[in-house]
Amino acid sequence: MELFQDQVLLSRIHFAFTAIFHILFPVLTIGLSIFLVGVEAKWLLTGQERYYQHARFWMRLFLLNFAVGVVSGIPMEFQFGTNWSAFSRAGGDIFGHLLGFEASMAFMLEAAFLGIMAFGWKRVSPGMHFFATCMVAFGGSLSAFWIMAANSWMQTPVGGEFVGNRFILTDAFAAIWNPDAFWGITHMWLACLEISLFVIGGISAWYLLRGRDTEFFLVSFKAMVVAAIVVTLLQMATGDGAGKSIFKAQPAKLAGIEAHWQTNPEGEGAPWKILAWPDKQLQANVWEIEVPNVLSLLATYSKTGTVTGLKEFPVADQPPLLLPFYSFRLMVLIGLLLAGLMVWSLWAWKKGELVPERVGRQKRLLYAWMAAIPLSYLAMETGWIVREVGRQPWVIQGVLRTEEGVSRLPAESVTGSLIGFVAIYTLLLILFLLFARRILQKGPNLVDSPVEKGKSHRDINRFLAKKHITRY
Amino acid sequence: MDAINANLPTIWLFLVGFFLLYYVVTDGADLGVGMLTLVTRNSEEKKVMMDSIHSIWHGNQTWIVILGGMLFGAFPLFYSIVLSALYIPFIVMLFGFIFRGVAFEFYDNAEWKPVWLVSFGVGSLLATLGQGFALGGLLGGISVQSDSFAGHPDDWLNGYSAIAAAGVVAGYIMLGAAYLVARTEGPLQERSFRLASAAGFATALISAVIYFATSLLHPSMAGKWLFRGESVWPSLFLYFFLFLTLGAFAMYFRSLLRKRQLAPLVWNWLVVIFSFTGLSIGLYPAMIPSVGAAALTVEEVAASPTTLRFMLVVTLILLPIILTYTSYSYWIFRGKITRDEGYENR
Repeated sequence: MELFQDQVLLSRIHFAFTAIFHILFPVLTIGLSIFLVGVEAKWLLTGQERYYQHARFWMRLFLLNFAVGVVSGIPMEFQFGTNWSAFSRAGGDIFGHLLGFEASMAFMLEAAFLGIMAFGWKRVSPGMHFFATCMVAFGGSLSAFWIMAANSWMQTPVGGEFVGNRFILTDAFAAIWNPDAFWGITHMWLACLEISLFVIGGISAWYLLRGRDTEFFLVSFKAMVVAAIVVTLLQMATGDGAGKSIFKAQPAKLAGIEAHWQTNPEGEGAPWKILAWPDKQLQANVWEIEVPNVLSLLATYSKTGTVTGLKEFPVADQPPLLLPFYSFRLMVLIGLLLAGLMVWSLWAWKKGELVPERVGRQKRLLYAWMAAIPLSYLAMETGWIVREVGRQPWVIQGVLRTEEGVSRLPAESVTGSLIGFVAIYTLLLILFLLFARRILQKGPNLVDSPVEKGKSHRDINRFLAKKHITRY
Repeated sequence: MDAINANLPTIWLFLVGFFLLYYVVTDGADLGVGMLTLVTRNSEEKKVMMDSIHSIWHGNQTWIVILGGMLFGAFPLFYSIVLSALYIPFIVMLFGFIFRGVAFEFYDNAEWKPVWLVSFGVGSLLATLGQGFALGGLLGGISVQSDSFAGHPDDWLNGYSAIAAAGVVAGYIMLGAAYLVARTEGPLQERSFRLASAAGFATALISAVIYFATSLLHPSMAGKWLFRGESVWPSLFLYFFLFLTLGAFAMYFRSLLRKRQLAPLVWNWLVVIFSFTGLSIGLYPAMIPSVGAAALTVEEVAASPTTLRFMLVVTLILLPIILTYTSYSYWIFRGKITRDEGYENR
């Protein structure tokens, strides 16, 4: 098998597989933790037990999701050294230290307060517990900030200079706030919110469809409809911004995503391919369905704006074409469908369908919300494929080629660990889904009351704690 | 300011050393507790042992993530060479972390629970073995050519690294047993006292062998024992830390005999800190020791001054904050562990 001898390809598959798996979990961690902050705040403000019960119910799912996210995340960090040592050497000056910041600022905060959030309900006051939940949510979003800043630096490496293939940092802030950073960070963070809101809304829809705890889940469902108005629209806006950022900083990537070969002559607009079959050997599309001028409009806001074509780049510098082209279209299509679902839900709300007596009859709408769960994850994964495969053949755009970034490892070592990761992660995914299903079937505990129990437990614990301290 | 700028790599060596030692004394104990569940027969006791670290293991483990990131940023060359050279031990450690890490949450949700107790124990053992062989592989020497690992993927597997791995296993079990002494009571605590003594003897013995073997392997360390260096200071420091280590061991055993609750764990921390510092002094200034060819020094593997300075400022602001909230979370969950409360009652 030729595949198992190509060490570069194996390391790329290794990274792609572990990254595609890992990212499924932190996105929900980030969004769901913000939701937990919301329901806990609502509980403290209104004193209604319903919100406390929401916090307890969704936290179970959160903890399960968080556990898989953490264990699959640690290998990501070490993989840069084990499999991509030449890249680590070249980019360590900035890339490594952003990972260090991510761990020390974000992961540590999450880890320390997660203990209090999960096990501290009866050990700390409600106010302190709320603070812990806020810190977990803050840590999650902060980690997204640092890792996206690091990834954006690979797309637009600035803030220093390359001396003999090694990046020497001169301006840390310029490197962190590199040209791609703003759009990269906001687009991904909104993706976390969007996926989470469709997960929460979709699960609520599942209960509504079954008529289980209808009043309880109508609260979370309607909250997610409201959140969807803001998030789906903002996500389209940042998507547009991210596209223009690629147009400016990574023209070959943009041309690849759009299968755009010829730079449009002055005075003529560049057409947008709805669908096409780009062929690198032909240096043209085998077939294409296009709309005139739209690519110029999308990239430059002008009907005749110049968009550089793929032919301007040497074949060796052209990105892969089919995967980014179709991934991009799938992502955009799903984004539009999700925005449509938001409009549909609002319309149903306006017609007075979102009330306990009638919501169960909105079967199609509720099924659509359930379908939105896998679709939103798929949009995120295809977006990442566009971002990372579109950057090829570079690992650091324009400076270090991917094949130059790998460790000199024998192919057997990489094959061995790849098989290990595939086996373990497949098992993890199956178990995660199994346990998540069990949590959902069990449902929320609607007789759980925080106040009295909390007080008595806290007193007992204080008493116990005092007894033990004197013993030390 | 000039003094700081001139010594940035050395300052970072101390910081990275701090992260490493903090990780070892905290998560080392967690992994030790995990390995001890493998030799515990009673399932209920196993669960109490798991619960004793439930609220803190994750924070403790995060220190190795910080260590990885900071090594990557401050010593990119070290990070890239060592991780690619020790590929197999590190992958084994990562697999071990996965089995250990999911065990807690999966146990809570599973119907068939014993399998997650096994996952917890075996994962802890795998992670410890991975770390032990990685340490042995590094201290045993790595062959480097033009800034890349140039050896064979099984270079780390030899008698020396096997001794180092045994030392790490024994040391973590010692930490785990001392931790259980502090956090449990009754029969489990009684047994932990005995295990802490046994593991203490094993660790002391293996540490002596590691010191001896490392000196044989690296003439620069042997030279320090024999006062053959240009300066007498490294030799004096080496002997000083040797005596501190011996003293800490003595106090550790004394505190166990007197059935003290927290003292064995504290003396155990000092054993780890002193013995590791002594070994580092023996090898300094080599950061990647090498057999035959010249070792790579701290200065050679460091990042650029701009990076080191920026990271230093941020880290010095962050560390007190991290230590404050981490201490707070330890404080919340202080006291003896009794029985699992379950998610609904937490």
